[in-house]
Amino acid sequence: MTEVAGITASMQDYLETILELTDGQDGVRITDIAAKLNIAKASVNQAIAKLKEQGLVRQNSYGPVILTDIGREQAAKVRQRHHKLRKFLIEVLGVNPKVAEKDACLMEHVVSPETMARLTEYLIEHGKIESNGDVKCSQQEAGCGNANINYRKEGCALKSVQTKALNELQVGAKGIIIRVVAQGAVRRRMLEMGVTPGTEVTVKGVAPFGDPMEFVIKGYNLSLRKAEAADVFVEELL
Amino acid sequence: MEEMQSQQASGGIVVALAGNPNSGKTTLFNELTGSRQHVGNWPGVTVEKKEGRMFFAGQPIQIVDLPGTYSLGAYSEDEAVARNYIVFDKPDVVVNIIDAVNIERNLYLTVQLLEMGANVVIALNMIDEAQARQVEVRAEKLSTLLGIPVVPTVATKNHGVKELIEQVVAAAKCKKNEALRINYGREMEAVLEAVISEIKRGNALNERFDPRWLAVNLLTGDLKLIEGLVNNDTLNRLLLKQREYAKNLEQAYGDDVETIVAEKRYGFISGLAKEVVVKRQSVADRLTMSDRIDKIVTNRYLGIPIFLLLMWAMFQFTFTLGDPMIEWIETLFEWLGEAGGSLLESAGASELMKSFFVDGLIGGIGSVLVFMPNILLLFFAISLLEDSGYMARAAYVMDRFMHSLGLHGKSFIPMLMGFGCNVPAIMATRTLENKQDRLITILINPLMSCSARLPVYVLFVGAFFSAYEGLVIFSLYMLGIVMAIFIGMLFKRFLFKGETSHFVMELPPYRIPTLKSTFIHMWERSSSFIRKAGTIIFAVVVVIWVLSNLPAGVETASSESYLGQIGSLVAPVFAPAGFGSWEASAALVFGILAKEVVVGTLGIIYGVEEAGLTKIIAAQWTPLAAYAFMVMTLLYIPCVATIGAIKRETNSWGWTAFAVGYSLILGWLMAVIVYQVGSLLGLG
Repeated sequence: MTEVAGITASMQDYLETILELTDGQDGVRITDIAAKLNIAKASVNQAIAKLKEQGLVRQNSYGPVILTDIGREQAAKVRQRHHKLRKFLIEVLGVNPKVAEKDACLMEHVVSPETMARLTEYLIEHGKIESNGDVKCSQQEAGCGNANINYRKEGCALKSVQTKALNELQVGAKGIIIRVVAQGAVRRRMLEMGVTPGTEVTVKGVAPFGDPMEFVIKGYNLSLRKAEAADVFVEELL
Repeated sequence: MEEMQSQQASGGIVVALAGNPNSGKTTLFNELTGSRQHVGNWPGVTVEKKEGRMFFAGQPIQIVDLPGTYSLGAYSEDEAVARNYIVFDKPDVVVNIIDAVNIERNLYLTVQLLEMGANVVIALNMIDEAQARQVEVRAEKLSTLLGIPVVPTVATKNHGVKELIEQVVAAAKCKKNEALRINYGREMEAVLEAVISEIKRGNALNERFDPRWLAVNLLTGDLKLIEGLVNNDTLNRLLLKQREYAKNLEQAYGDDVETIVAEKRYGFISGLAKEVVVKRQSVADRLTMSDRIDKIVTNRYLGIPIFLLLMWAMFQFTFTLGDPMIEWIETLFEWLGEAGGSLLESAGASELMKSFFVDGLIGGIGSVLVFMPNILLLFFAISLLEDSGYMARAAYVMDRFMHSLGLHGKSFIPMLMGFGCNVPAIMATRTLENKQDRLITILINPLMSCSARLPVYVLFVGAFFSAYEGLVIFSLYMLGIVMAIFIGMLFKRFLFKGETSHFVMELPPYRIPTLKSTFIHMWERSSSFIRKAGTIIFAVVVVIWVLSNLPAGVETASSESYLGQIGSLVAPVFAPAGFGSWEASAALVFGILAKEVVVGTLGIIYGVEEAGLTKIIAAQWTPLAAYAFMVMTLLYIPCVATIGAIKRETNSWGWTAFAVGYSLILGWLMAVIVYQVGSLLGLG
C-alpha cells in the first residue's frame, strides 16, 4: 500500500468526498463539497489549495475540482479501507452499523498498512470479500449492489460526527475541538493558546459589528475572527 | 562554569521574570525592584528591556523582566527575546508567574521553560482572585508534581513576595539539571531518540542545550531558533532529515508535528490541572463579575456607544484637566524669564547674553515642560484602560471596523495614543504581531494629530477663528484621521497585497487597576517622551536662537539671518498653498525638528510673545492661508523624534525615508488643494 506522504486525515476526508461527488461527472464544485461536508466554503477553498499543492487535485481558477490520477488512487484507497473496516466491525465483531460507520470513519485514517493487510487477509479467508480484495455485498448493506457507489449516504468526514466549523455555532453553544485546519502563524498561535483537538469550547459572544467572536476555552476568554474560527472544526455538544 | 560567570559578572544572583501577558508580571517586577529599575532596549531588536535591582539579606539580586509571552515558540520578536535570554544568557533562576485563575494556559509556558531545563520557581499569582471564584489551587501538590518550588502570591498586595525571594535565593544555590520530559507518543519518541543520539554525537550542540529540547524544536521546524545557532555539520545534517521525519510522523498521527506537540503538552497540563485545581461544583456555571461587565461592554447595541463614551471621557480628562496646568507652567516660566532677565541685567550681562538665557534656555526648557500635563494625563488614562482590561475589549469591539480599513483591532490603541504623542504611539505598535499590520500602523501614525500640533492650531485659531475654535480644531483632527484611513487603505492595497493577519487574542478578566502600577506605567511612558523628545526640543530651541542671531551683527530673526535665508530658499514652493513668505517656510523647516517649534520660531521671527504673535499673524496672514498652513503642519514630515522612533521600530532606513517622503507630498498636496479650492469658492 503506497501512500503519498503528508496527507492529513482531513485531507483524506476531502479526497473521499470529492471522489464520491465526482462519480460520473467531470468535476465537483466547491459549493457542493461545502454543502456535503456542511462546512464553510472558505475552509474548503483552503483545503483544496493544499490538495492542489500536493498534486492530488486540479482546478482552473474557480472551475470545478478534478481529482488527478494520484488523487483518485489515494481517495479510492481510503474508501476501500473504510469499507473493509466497516464490514469487519459489523459482520465479524457484531458492532451496531451506526457505531461501526462512525468508528470506520476515524479508523480509516490511522490504521497501519500492516493491520490493514492482515484484516484484508482475514476478510478474504472468511469469505467476506472477494479474493481480489473487492468488497462483496451483503444483506445488511442495502443499496450496495453496484460496486462501491453510494455505499454510504453521508460524507464520512466531518459530517458523520456532527461536525461544524466553530464560527457556525450559536452564542451559548458548546463543542469539542476536533481539528484545526488553519495554517502558518495563525495555526501555531491557536495551538499555543490551547485551541487543540479534544478541548471544550463555548461561544460567549459576537462583537457589535458582527466580528470577531469571543470564546471560552480552558477557563479563559479568547477572541477569534470568524474567518479564523472557520478553520477550527468542532463536534457540537447538544 | 557558565553559572559562575553570570553571577560574577553582575555580582549577584540573576533572576529572569517570565509569564503570560496579564499574569501580573509587571506588578511583581515593580514590587520587587521599586524605583531601582531602568528601561532600555534589548540589543539588536526593538523589544523593551526592563532591568532592576534588589537586595535580600545584603545580597544583590539582578532582575530581568522578560517580555510577556504565551509561549516560547519564538514566532514574534518578544518570544525570541525571552527564549534567547533563557537559552543563551542562562539566568540563575527563572521566576515563572502564573495566573492561578487561568492555570492551564499559563502552564503551557511553564512546560516549555521546564523542557528547556531552566531553573524555575513558580509564583502562583492572583491566588486571592482564584479563591473569590471558589477555585482552589494546591500549591504544594503542583510543587511535588513538577519538582520545583511553587509560592502562592498576590503581587498587587505584596503577599508572598518575601517567601518568593527566599525560594529564589535557595534555588539559585542548588541548580536543577533535569529537564522535564513529556511523553510525545511512541512514534514521536522513536524519532526523537534518533535525533537526540545524532545531536549527542555532534558534541558542540550537546554542551550548550538540552538535547531533547533541541530535538523537539528541530522536529517542529522552529527556524528562528536554528538561525540563532552556530552553523555546524550535525545541525545541517539534521535539518536535511527534518522534513522526512516530519512527514513520517504526520502520516503516523494523521496530524502535523506542531499539533502533536501542542496536544501532548496540553495533555500533560490537563493531567496536572486535574490533580491541582479543585473547583466547587455549584459555581461552575455562575457568571463572574467579569462576565457581567462584558455582557454590557461588548453588547451588540451598547458596545460601540460605551467605547465612544470612554474615548470622549479620556479626551476630556486629558485636555480639560490639562489645560489649566499648562497655563500655570507658562506663567511660571514667564516669571522665571523676567526674574532671570532682570537678574542678568543687574549683573551687567550683554543684551545678547540675556536673550540667550531668557529666550534660548529658559524658553527651551519651558517649551518641553509645557507638554507634561497633557502627556501625563493621557498616559494615565491609557494605563488605566489597559490595566483594567478594557483595552483588549476596545480592540475586540473595533476590529471589524479596523479590519475593513486594512488594519487590526490592536492598531486602534497606537492610533489613539498618536493623539498624545506619536513617539510612544509608534512604540506601542509592538503589540501587533503581524509585521505588515505593524508597518502600516507605524507609517500612518504621524497623521494622527499629536498634542505637539495643538499649540500651532491654538495660535492660528486664536488669530482668525476664535468664534469657531472647537470646530476648526476638530476639523483638523478629523482630517488627520481621514487621511490615515485613506493612506492606510492605499498602502494595504498596493504595498502589502494579499497579506493576512490574525486576531487570536486573549480577553483578560476585568481587574481594578492599582494606583501604583498605573502611576509607574504612566511615568515610564511620559519620562520616555521627555527623554526622547525633550532633549531634541530643547536643543532645537537653542539652535533656532543661534541661527536667528547669526551671522554676527544681523538683527535677530531678520531675513538676513541664517534662519531668514533658509526660509527664503524654501518659500516659493509654498506659494500655491498661500503661505509663500519666508517666515512661514522657516517655521516649517524648524517644525520638522518638533512641530510645536513652529510657534516658537514664528515668535522669534516676529520678535514677540505669544499674545503679540496672535495680533501680528492676524494682520499679516489671511484666514484661508492660515488654515492651509495648519493642514500642512498636521500632515507634513513627522518630527525628528518620531522619525527616530520610526527608524527604530521598522529597523529600516528605507521605510523611514518613505514615511518622510510620502507625508511631505501629502501635506503639500492637501495644503494646495485647501488654498486653491478655498480661493475658487471665494474664501480667500
